[in-house]
Amino acid sequence: MTAEEHELRELRSSVREFLETKSSEEAVRKLMESEPRFDPAVWAQACGQLRLAALALPEEYGGDGFGMVELGVVLEETGRALFCSPFFATVVLAAQTLLASGDARACARHLPGIAAGRTTAALAVAEDDGSWDPALVSARALPDGDGGWTVRGRKSFVVDGTTADLVLVVARTVAGPSLFAVDREATGLTAEPMDTLDATRAMARLTFDAVPATPVGADGAGGRVMAKVLDIASVGLAAEQAGGARRCLDTSTEYARTRHQFGRPIGSFQAVKHKCADMLVQVELAEASSREAARLAAEHDPAFPVAAAVAHACASRAYLYAATENIQVHGGIGFTWEHPAHLYFRRAKSSQLLLGGPAVYHERLLDRLGI
Amino acid sequence: MEQDMQDFADEARRFLNAHATKAPDRAALTWGVGDDSTAYFSSLPPEQEHEQVRRAREWQRIRYENGFGWITGPVEYGGRGLTFVHDLLYDAVESEYEVADTGVIGVVGLGMIGPTILAHAQPHLKDRWLPAMYRGDAIACQLFSEPGAGSDLASVSTRAVRQDDGDWLLNGQKVWTSVAQHSGIGLALTRTDPDAPKHRGITAFLVPMDTPGVEVRPLRQMTGGTDFNEVFLTDVRIPDDHRLGEVDGGWTVALTTLMNERATVGSEGAGPVAAALSPDHLSALMRATWTWDDRALRARLAELLVDVLATRHLNARALQGLRAGVAPGPEMSVSKLLHGQNLTRAAHFVSEVLGPRIIADTGQWGTYAWTELLLATPALRILGGTEEIMKNILAERVLGLPREPVTTAAKEVRP
Ligand SMILES: Cc1cc2nc3c(=O)[nH]c(=O)nc-3n(C[C@H](O)[C@H](O)[C@H](O)COP(=O)(O)OP(=O)(O)OC[C@H]3O[C@@H](n4cnc5c(N)ncnc54)[C@H](O)[C@@H]3O)c2cc1C
Repeated sequence: MTAEEHELRELRSSVREFLETKSSEEAVRKLMESEPRFDPAVWAQACGQLRLAALALPEEYGGDGFGMVELGVVLEETGRALFCSPFFATVVLAAQTLLASGDARACARHLPGIAAGRTTAALAVAEDDGSWDPALVSARALPDGDGGWTVRGRKSFVVDGTTADLVLVVARTVAGPSLFAVDREATGLTAEPMDTLDATRAMARLTFDAVPATPVGADGAGGRVMAKVLDIASVGLAAEQAGGARRCLDTSTEYARTRHQFGRPIGSFQAVKHKCADMLVQVELAEASSREAARLAAEHDPAFPVAAAVAHACASRAYLYAATENIQVHGGIGFTWEHPAHLYFRRAKSSQLLLGGPAVYHERLLDRLGI
Repeated sequence: MEQDMQDFADEARRFLNAHATKAPDRAALTWGVGDDSTAYFSSLPPEQEHEQVRRAREWQRIRYENGFGWITGPVEYGGRGLTFVHDLLYDAVESEYEVADTGVIGVVGLGMIGPTILAHAQPHLKDRWLPAMYRGDAIACQLFSEPGAGSDLASVSTRAVRQDDGDWLLNGQKVWTSVAQHSGIGLALTRTDPDAPKHRGITAFLVPMDTPGVEVRPLRQMTGGTDFNEVFLTDVRIPDDHRLGEVDGGWTVALTTLMNERATVGSEGAGPVAAALSPDHLSALMRATWTWDDRALRARLAELLVDVLATRHLNARALQGLRAGVAPGPEMSVSKLLHGQNLTRAAHFVSEVLGPRIIADTGQWGTYAWTELLLATPALRILGGTEEIMKNILAERVLGLPREPVTTAAKEVRP
C-alpha cells in the first residue's frame, strides 16, 4: 500500500466512523421529515472535527488543499450513509463553481466561510424543465444603473435552496449566460421547498424578483464555467452513487447469507447468487470509473471530461440496478416503509436524473468524444 | 516517466524500428482502406493458417532473441527479469508497429501454461520447456476439458496409471483443445486416484504432443474454422519427471492455470477486436452507413461506450494490483465477464447499424466482415469458464455467499 492509499484509507474510515454515529438510519429518517433537512450541530462537527468542507479547497482560502480524489472518498461515504447535510450543494456544486469561475475576488470573499463551515451555499441553474444546459436558462440579469446588477426569474430543483446562505445563480445577460452571487437575505428572493422523490436531498424553487446580485467571473462566461462544473459535479455525484450502490450490495449479500427459505440460506439459490454477482460487477465498474475520473481530474488530464461522463452514466446505472435488486433480494420486507431499501431506491432514481438523465449524459459523452 | 522506464522504451523502439514497420493509427481509420477483418478466431484455409503460425513463431523468436520475448521471466530460465510494468510498456510501444499476430502462442501457452510451469514444474522441465516456449519453438495447449468434464472440471476421467518403472500411462479423451494442432506440449489433467474425493485424485502432467499415442483431430466450430480439437490419448507413456506438482495434487496446479486464464481472457489486447470497440471506429461505421442521426442508435452507442470505457478503467485498476505483485484472484472474473458481454453487445450493436448488410455479402468494405466477430461472441460467454460459473465464483469467493448444496459425494465446480 502506498502512503497515499494509506491516507485515503484513514480518511475513509474516519468519515465512515463519524457517519455511523451521526447519520444512522434513525437520524436520516428523522431529518428527512424536518426543516431544515440537516442537523446544524452535526454539520458543524463535520466541518470542525473532520474539516469536510475545507478538504478540497485551496489553502489560500482556508482549505486543506486536497483534490477530487479525496473528495471522492468522502462522497462515497456520504452516499453510503445518505448523509443529510449541505455537503453536496456547498462543497461540490457551489465551491467548485466559485473555483471554476476563476474569480479570485469572489473566491476570497466566499470560500473561507465555506471552508470554516460558517457558510452553506447552493447553485441555481435548472428551471422548470430541470435542464442544466446554461443555453436554456431564461432567468435574466440587468445592470441596475448604479454599477450593480439585479436578477429576475425562477429556478427549480435547487439543492438545499431554502437553507443556503449564498446562492450562485446562472442568469442571462446581453453577453450570454453569466454567473451571479446572491445573498440569502437579499430583498426579492423567496424560496419554497419542493416535494421530492428523495426526501434526503432537499430541493427548492427560488423566485428572484429584481434581486441585487454580484457578478462572478466574466460577463457571459457562464456557459464555459458550467461546462467545467458539470464535469466535476458528475464525478462527485458518481462517487456518491458508487457509495450508495456498494451499500445496497453489502446489505443484499448480508441478507442472502442469513435469510433461510426451503431450509437453506437464500444466497445458496443460484438465482439470488447471480443477482448479487451482477450487482458486484456493476458496483466495481462504478467505483473504478468514478475513482479513475477523480484521479484524472486531480492530474488535469485531458481525458477527464470523457471520464467524467462515463463515471456519471456508469454509476447511475449501477446504483439504480443495485437499489432495485436490493429490494428484490429482500422480498416483501424490502417493500415496507420501515426497511431502508426504499431510501436508496429513491436516492438512486433521483441521482440518475438530477443532472438531466441518460438522454443528456449519453449525448454529453458522445460530444466529449467528438462523435 | 522514470529514467529506467524511458531507457527501456527507447530500447524497445530501437528494436522495433529495426525489425518492424510502423502501423497506421488504427483508431483514426479511413473508411474502406486496409484489412477489414474482425476475426476473433482464425478461420483460414489450412495453408494460410500454417503460414500465419510460421510468422507468429518467427516474430516471437525475434522478440526473444532481442530480449523482449519474456520480459518478466526469471533470468535463469531465459527471461529478462524485469517487472510487469516493463511488460505493459513494451506492449504499448509494440502496438504502434505492424507485427505478426502471436495469439496462437500467447493466449494459452504464454498466458496460461507458462506461468503454471514456472510455478509448479521441476527445474529440468523449466530449463527444457520455458525457453523453448518463449522462443516460439514450442506452442503449448491446455488439455483440461473432456466430454464429461467442462464446468465440472474436477470430474476429469482421463486415467494416468503408474507403471513398474515409474513412468505413467495415460488413456482418455480431451476436447475443445485450442491450438492443439500446432502444439509441442500440452498440460493435461488426469485421474490418478478414482477412489479419492474427485478433486483430490487428480494429477497434472506435461505431455509432449509428439509422444506416441497422442492423436489430435480437428473439431470444427460455429465460425467455420477449426481453432479447437479433440485430443485422444491412447497408452501415452509419460516419465514421472514430467509431472507438475504432487501426485493427486493436480487441482492446485489447475487453479494456477485457471486464474491466469481469466486474467488473459479478460484483457482486451490490441488488434481488430480492440479497434471494433473504439469510439472512433464505431462512429466511422455510423457515418459510413448514414445512421449518424438515428437517436435510438446514438443512445445505444453511448451505452455501449460507457461499458467499454468503464471496463478499461476497471482493468487499469486490476493491473495496478497485478503490478504490485498480487497473483490474479477471483476478482479477475469481473473482467472476464465484462469482456464477453462488451464484445457481444458491440457485435449486436454493429449488426443493427449494418442491418441487412450483415446477413448477405454485398462486397462492401467493412460490412459483412463483421460476421466474424458476431459469430465468435457466443464462445466468449463459454470459454475459460461460463458466465454462470464466473457468477458463482464472484458470489461465493468474493461475496462469501453459501455454496450450492452438495448433492453428490464430492462436488466441485470448475473454480
Ligand atoms: C472456443 C473455445 C475454446 C476452448 N478452449 C479450451 C482449451 O484450450 N482447453 C480446455 O481445456 N478447454 C477449452 N474449452 C472448453 C471450455 O473451458 C468449456 O467449454 C467450458 O468450461 C464449459 O464446459 P462445457 O462446455 O462442458 O459446458 P457445461 O459445463 O456442460 O455447461 C453447459 C451449461 O450449463 C451451465 N452450468 C454448468 N454447471 C453449472 C453450475 N454449477 N451452475 C450454473 N450453470 C452451470 C453452463 O454455464 C452452461 O451454460 C474451450 C471452449 C471454447 C468454446
